[in-house]
Amino acid sequence: MSAGRGSRPGGGRGAPARSRTLISDAQLNRARGRLVYRVVLTLVIVVFTLVFIGPLYFLFTDGLKSTQEAVQVPPTLVPHHVHPGTYLDAWRRVGVGRLLVNTLYYAFGALLFQLVFDVAAAYALSRLRPVLGNVIFAMMLATLMIPSTVLVVPQYITVSSLPVLHLNLIGTPEAIWLPSVANAFSIFLLKRFFDSIPGELLAAAAIDGASPLRTLRSVVLPVSRPIIGVVAIFGLVAVWKDFLWPLLVEYGYNPSRETLNVGIYEAAATTPQNLVIAASAMAAVPTLVFFLIFQRNILSGLTAGSLKG
Amino acid sequence: MADVATLRPAGRDPVLARPRAGSGVARKVRRNASAHGFLIGAVLCFAFFSWYPMVREIIMSFQRTSLGVTSWAGWANYRRIFHDPTFWQAWRNTLEFTILALIIGYAVPFFVAILLNELRHARGYLRVLVYLPVMLPPASALLLFAYFYDPAYGLFNSVLHTLHLPVSQWVQSPGTRWPTTAMISVVIAATWMNMGGATLIYLAALQNIPGELYEAAELDGAGLVRKVRHVTIPQTRLILSMLLMLQIVATMQMFVEAFILTNGGAGVNGNTLSVVNLIYQYAFALSGASNYNSASALGVVLMLVLAVFSGAYLWLSRERG
Amino acid sequence: MSRQLHRRAGCRAIAGSAAAALLAAAVACSSSGNSAAAPNSGGHVTISVDCAPPASSPQQHKEWNEDVALFEKANPNITVDSIYTSPCEVPATFTAMLRAGTEPSVFYTYFTDRNQVLDAGQAADITPYVNTRTVPMLHDIVPSAMAAVTAGSTIYGLPTSNYTQGLIINRKLFLQAGLNPDSPPTTWARVEADAKAITRLGHGIYGYGDYSAGNNGGWHFSSELDAMGGHMINSAGTSASFDTPQAAQILQALHTMRFVDHSMSPTQQLQWGALQKQMAAGKLGMYIAAPDDIYNVIVPQDGGNIGDYGMGPLPSATGTPAGSLSGGNDYMFAKRDTPAQIEAGIKWVVFESLTPGQGVYFNFARQKADGFPVGFPEPQLFDGATQATYTRLMDASATVNPSYYSAFSNARETPMGEPADAQAVYKTLDPVMLSVLTDPNANISQLLSAASSQVNQILANSGG
Repeated sequence: MSAGRGSRPGGGRGAPARSRTLISDAQLNRARGRLVYRVVLTLVIVVFTLVFIGPLYFLFTDGLKSTQEAVQVPPTLVPHHVHPGTYLDAWRRVGVGRLLVNTLYYAFGALLFQLVFDVAAAYALSRLRPVLGNVIFAMMLATLMIPSTVLVVPQYITVSSLPVLHLNLIGTPEAIWLPSVANAFSIFLLKRFFDSIPGELLAAAAIDGASPLRTLRSVVLPVSRPIIGVVAIFGLVAVWKDFLWPLLVEYGYNPSRETLNVGIYEAAATTPQNLVIAASAMAAVPTLVFFLIFQRNILSGLTAGSLKG
Repeated sequence: MADVATLRPAGRDPVLARPRAGSGVARKVRRNASAHGFLIGAVLCFAFFSWYPMVREIIMSFQRTSLGVTSWAGWANYRRIFHDPTFWQAWRNTLEFTILALIIGYAVPFFVAILLNELRHARGYLRVLVYLPVMLPPASALLLFAYFYDPAYGLFNSVLHTLHLPVSQWVQSPGTRWPTTAMISVVIAATWMNMGGATLIYLAALQNIPGELYEAAELDGAGLVRKVRHVTIPQTRLILSMLLMLQIVATMQMFVEAFILTNGGAGVNGNTLSVVNLIYQYAFALSGASNYNSASALGVVLMLVLAVFSGAYLWLSRERG
Repeated sequence: MSRQLHRRAGCRAIAGSAAAALLAAAVACSSSGNSAAAPNSGGHVTISVDCAPPASSPQQHKEWNEDVALFEKANPNITVDSIYTSPCEVPATFTAMLRAGTEPSVFYTYFTDRNQVLDAGQAADITPYVNTRTVPMLHDIVPSAMAAVTAGSTIYGLPTSNYTQGLIINRKLFLQAGLNPDSPPTTWARVEADAKAITRLGHGIYGYGDYSAGNNGGWHFSSELDAMGGHMINSAGTSASFDTPQAAQILQALHTMRFVDHSMSPTQQLQWGALQKQMAAGKLGMYIAAPDDIYNVIVPQDGGNIGDYGMGPLPSATGTPAGSLSGGNDYMFAKRDTPAQIEAGIKWVVFESLTPGQGVYFNFARQKADGFPVGFPEPQLFDGATQATYTRLMDASATVNPSYYSAFSNARETPMGEPADAQAVYKTLDPVMLSVLTDPNANISQLLSAASSQVNQILANSGG
């Protein structure tokens, strides 16, 4: 039985060795325990697969149906006639390629801005400790209490005419990139990680006469890769999943600039059901593939990041 | 909470610059200048996109704008929203969503996590499984659920029909008695989409429970239920309460779920109108009759309510650190 | 176009450098991104124009782009920057756009948007630029359409479409159900009877469909009420006037079809686009629309067969509609436009949307060549000589059988315009339609009186 532990996920961060859980191994090793365990395990695997893969199965196969079959009563479990052309139609008609490019552009642009500004800010707050640094940090943390959805109206007005500068950012990618920098959670995670870097490491750099920028580049960043990964993933996913904000600032300006999320919704009303599902499936592919490739890092990063938040 | 400190990397070492700081005013100024140089980008973004809008929202909620002329309005916007029956309906719905989402979306992941934590096989597979929906763009997941929920040709009604159960109109259900079928349908979709995150955080917390505590409980003759009650829950109490606050804050901002499932509307008999949706309606959807000032007043009310819960969260997480 | 690409690349290069510079660069790039419409030196002028047909309507998309190329060739100093949108306007984001002042230099609006655009201070006064030299057909545009874009004596836009609504029917299903497709139902009682007969065909076919989302429910309700002789708003524009037995009668008919006859689908909460899909798929017998639904949506976008459709007037109590909601759309000009942009914009609108024989909608010979149906009784935009030319050109390329539409044309519905604060009123009536179509226990009189007081509140607030 003990061999079964082999499938334990690799945390990578040296989580405390799992001694035991609610139910002891001894209990499981009894004949009855073993039977119950087998039954429960099978049940869990079947139910979970049904609940979580089931909808995904339909997401990917319903798009293969013809328009008629997609709205047939009762619905078919397996497409009677496979129409791979539906995917092509949906790609063209909903413009999935364009939506994908837009969203990647917004997401990675936002990521770049976030990494540059938030890492710099967290580094300054953690290591350079400027005058009023604590006040600034506290004011940043305060924004955690007011989620941005609540501020959608004044934010929209502000972005349509930045105070002092009198610039209108509506319809530009900056309308997504720049607000994403104002992410107190990222700064908080980064700052706390930087706080934990041993002082001797930095002192050595300082004695060598390295400027703060060089210290950041050659000492801090290399050891901070895990936390930067976490912040990057959160940052990307946030832009990828956002709806109301890109609806207002991009779609509202010019539908050709809309994101994937907004684009497939806006197309849904005027597009046949099978194409809607096919477009939804294609929209889901990039993040699903990304997740399946990096699942180990994402899952451990997620728990590490949030446990300490 | 000294025992939790082991979770955190040691963080109290001396600041890099401090030992060198005494050597002169010029150096201090230079150091500050460069530090603020590092800060300026983020601070400007916060100023423009967080701090200023926050202040602006409060100011706007006390103003009125007519044909481009802005004047002070006192409490008129607040009076207007308090007199709007849809305001109270939106709050009732949001509260209903929050409560249902907590019952389903908060408790379910906890028990799922406990279950997963006991398994010795397929853990990696199951962890990936529960997290898969989180990675979907919400519109994909919601359009899929809208399709499942379709009263005429949807999958769910067909399943009910096969089982000889009465079919439902799901999100389009007219019933207004709590909990409404419409809102439950929204919660089911939302939970499916989002429960992965909470489950994984619980899992991590469960793994940090010292095994000896269970052993000790067993020596006292505790059964499964008592072990959960007296060991698991107390040991994860902090995570539980932190997640509770986070979930309340997140669910009270519900927008996209009901918006997409009900085709941009408020649901039958206003059943799925949320507060954020009402802000959107006030601000934009009423076309010429839209009113930023009333929307701002509504935003301020929501801001105050959320601040209470967020404050509780910050307070709890401080206790932890 | 290449100019813009260049600018973007420049932005990226700047973005490579240090932190504070990055913010400055970002802001600088964005400001240039938005002023793409500003005129250049050397008399060159760029106008951005929305409501260009997107790739989801392939033929119209192609035709529009041909027209742009043709226009730019004839006017080398003008660049038309097309913004592809369908539907042309989504009220909520349109409102957001106006508030931000980011509308294109030549922008599409519904007739109902005029006051909102003026209140937002976003419409340019184009009166000095509009005359029979710049707009040759000016005096042939029907007065009601010109009135929709005029406030006092100031002209703010050029109308490009004007419609009344009727009942689109699926002739094929009518025949299959043993009904006469040449005599579409004209009363609600007959709509109910025919819908029942069509629904009996089975296979997921329903006799009647209607909207209840996206402001479209309220929009249809308004039209249905107009046909019954009612009005949404009193003539002074100060209070709701739809809490009447006529309105209740319409809603009762819908409720009966949905819950007693089951001749409407259990799937409701539909908005513009959904019924066209059902019609094209042969799953729907009748619904209310303007004729352009057939040639703009059902046939080109959803693949319906042109020979399957016909039209009658709006259903009413007597069989003769007292009127129809008449709406339309137009192009307005952004307040910030330069005189050169306004002149170029007018030139474009006249070229593309107001000259019989030209443009996506009026170049009938090309429509026919592209396999597009021609010959619908719409839009009712012109009088006089222009209308004569229009009719002559259309008839020369007509591909649809006019007798399929004669019941609609012959009814000559009186155009009733749209109510004050129309979009907000429509929005308020959506939930009424939705409840009637989804709640078996819907209390119609209560719904009407609640919506009525909401509309009164909207009218009161918008007055101040």
